[in-house]
Amino acid sequence: MRERSRKFLSGRGMRKLRRDRMAMAALAVIGVYLALALLVLLGVPSEDAVQERVAPDNTPGFFARGTAERRLDSAQFHLDSIQRSVRSSDPAKAIAEHRLGTLQLVQVSPEELESRLTEAWRAFDAASALEDDIESPAATARLDELDTAIDALYVQPTGFAAATRFAQLALGTDRQGRSILLRAVYSAKVAVQIGVVSALIAVLIGTLLGAAAGYFGGWVDHLVVWLYSTFSSIPWIVLLMVIATVCRGDAFAPLVERMPLLPVYAAFCLSFWISPCRVVRGEVMKLKELEYVQAAAAVGFGRMRILLRHVIPNTAHLAFINFSLLFIGAIKAEVILSFLGLGVQGTPSWGVMINHAKAEVLNGFFWQIGTATGFMLVLVLAFNVLSDALQDAFDPKHV
Amino acid sequence: MWSYTARRLLYNVPVYLGIVLLLMAALRINDPAYAHLGKNARPEDLEEIRQKLGLDRPFLEQYWALLRDVFTLNLGVKSWTNEGLSVGRMLSESIKPSLAITVPALVLTSAISICIALVSAFFRGRAADKSLMFLAVLGMSVSFLVYIVFGQYLGAYLLTRETGYGVFAIGGYEPGLANWPYYCLLPVLISTIVAMGYDTRFYRAVMVEESGRDYIVTAKAKGASKRKIMFVHMLKNAMIPIITRIMTTLPFLIMGSLLLEVYFNIPGMGRVLYKAIQEQDFPVVQVFVAIFAALFILSNILTDVLYALVDPRVRLS
Repeated sequence: MRERSRKFLSGRGMRKLRRDRMAMAALAVIGVYLALALLVLLGVPSEDAVQERVAPDNTPGFFARGTAERRLDSAQFHLDSIQRSVRSSDPAKAIAEHRLGTLQLVQVSPEELESRLTEAWRAFDAASALEDDIESPAATARLDELDTAIDALYVQPTGFAAATRFAQLALGTDRQGRSILLRAVYSAKVAVQIGVVSALIAVLIGTLLGAAAGYFGGWVDHLVVWLYSTFSSIPWIVLLMVIATVCRGDAFAPLVERMPLLPVYAAFCLSFWISPCRVVRGEVMKLKELEYVQAAAAVGFGRMRILLRHVIPNTAHLAFINFSLLFIGAIKAEVILSFLGLGVQGTPSWGVMINHAKAEVLNGFFWQIGTATGFMLVLVLAFNVLSDALQDAFDPKHV
Repeated sequence: MWSYTARRLLYNVPVYLGIVLLLMAALRINDPAYAHLGKNARPEDLEEIRQKLGLDRPFLEQYWALLRDVFTLNLGVKSWTNEGLSVGRMLSESIKPSLAITVPALVLTSAISICIALVSAFFRGRAADKSLMFLAVLGMSVSFLVYIVFGQYLGAYLLTRETGYGVFAIGGYEPGLANWPYYCLLPVLISTIVAMGYDTRFYRAVMVEESGRDYIVTAKAKGASKRKIMFVHMLKNAMIPIITRIMTTLPFLIMGSLLLEVYFNIPGMGRVLYKAIQEQDFPVVQVFVAIFAALFILSNILTDVLYALVDPRVRLS
């Protein structure tokens, strides 16, 4: 087997793949995403950081201020939340503990803070008094004053805190004021996790069943063909929905609690194994007629040994192609499942983000849907390019 | 011919028996009555709906009952959530809206994709081909949901706001041809754009494969123009894989476009099934999936038989 796999890695197909510049670029992109996923696994950004409010709702990205109305809303959010702390039963403690992402309130006496707050409210009232003519230069000047007054309430972050704040606000915030960029980065880990686990298991099941069916023939073949005909006679989206719903039921509740992604994995693995199985079965039926397999049988190797060490390693290219295709399938199906309310729950994912962004789009806020789509597009595009290159290199006859 | 049809039918009998078996087993892992009525249900109520549907009877008996109902199309079982509505009625009411979207979408997608594929194959290897194919891959890399969200925003909100004239509905459905463009055209267009990337790539691959065949070389040798080779010789021969592809997508028409139906509130089969799954409407889910699978298999057999009519060699295998 070692000899065979070495041949696969240094064979003609691999050389062809290495010369393919697009494929190498795609691999580099995939590498970047894997690095992102690793970073998230190491705790940057942490699970709390992506659920934390860092700014008012739907702050636009690139530190843009947005429309005058939005600036007023955002100012009101800041003032309201500070006022709650100042008016609380223990103002000194509430002020000391007041946080908005990395921002904290200026460390002055509550009386001093309250007078600054009153100042800011006055600026707010002055700005909102011009509501009818909010785009005029006079109103803009008032709004700038208001922003200065609000800035005076917070300690402006420096060093690491400033960098963190920069990352948090770079692509804006969602409807609950959470950082879109951090959530999209965290979702990269979720996507890689879902893609790798479901594609790997599906390819493994498909290859084993398909190889066994193709090699042994007879009732094994009949059974496997019956099984995949059965599964593929249910429209895939119905299959996904039914499996995910069953896994969300009471019977699996303790398991799902420990492993929240279980319904997603189960749905994908049980519906994705069909295509590798079909392809591998066909390939193995061809392979078993080849001389080297017959030679191995003539030497007296057992059938299991021939299957596992001589036949299956020669279908490795199909496993790679199918892994790549199923990875794409998993990421895209995750979005659909999340939209149907059966997908990822509890952690952010690109599907969850796109699904949440539905309502924002109608208000003309595109940062969340744009970011999630962009992150997803680059990864899926890389895998699409890679799948094409793999197919060209190893399976050129495929239509 | 008849023996081939009979063989195809017989071959699919165990497949269908398997589907119904797996489906019924999967739906019974969690107690359906309990899941529907919730934690605070009274035991008498649970017992009552179980008895009504025969859930208390032995599994095999339920199995035969469901198979009998599907084969005799005796779909009088009542839905749990839509009071008084039988599953058969829900099925017959929802099939039209589904087809109103999927059939035009299939026609439009196939026509446009074949044209683009022809252009792409005509300029094979040149900038036009490469950029078209890159566009196709780019289009394939964006989520279906993003197309729907932006399609609705552009078509139903922005267009209405800018022109002051409601060209497309935000959602909903009314029967009748006059209402079709208002309610269904936008979903059809979205579905076409989504499917175009996949189809174009497939059809281009077919054309490229076809262009390497001997008869093309013969045509070239005899002095036929490139355009004539493309549209007369090649397209004619490429029709077989094209028709096969279209026929294999036919079974999916029945299911409808679940996502579009859910998003645009179109009461098609996909949305009915989705709502039934959400509301734990067990009888509807069970019968709908069983019927889908049956229709799916039947249309597969039909495809095979039609194919065998066209190409007699298939009958022998």
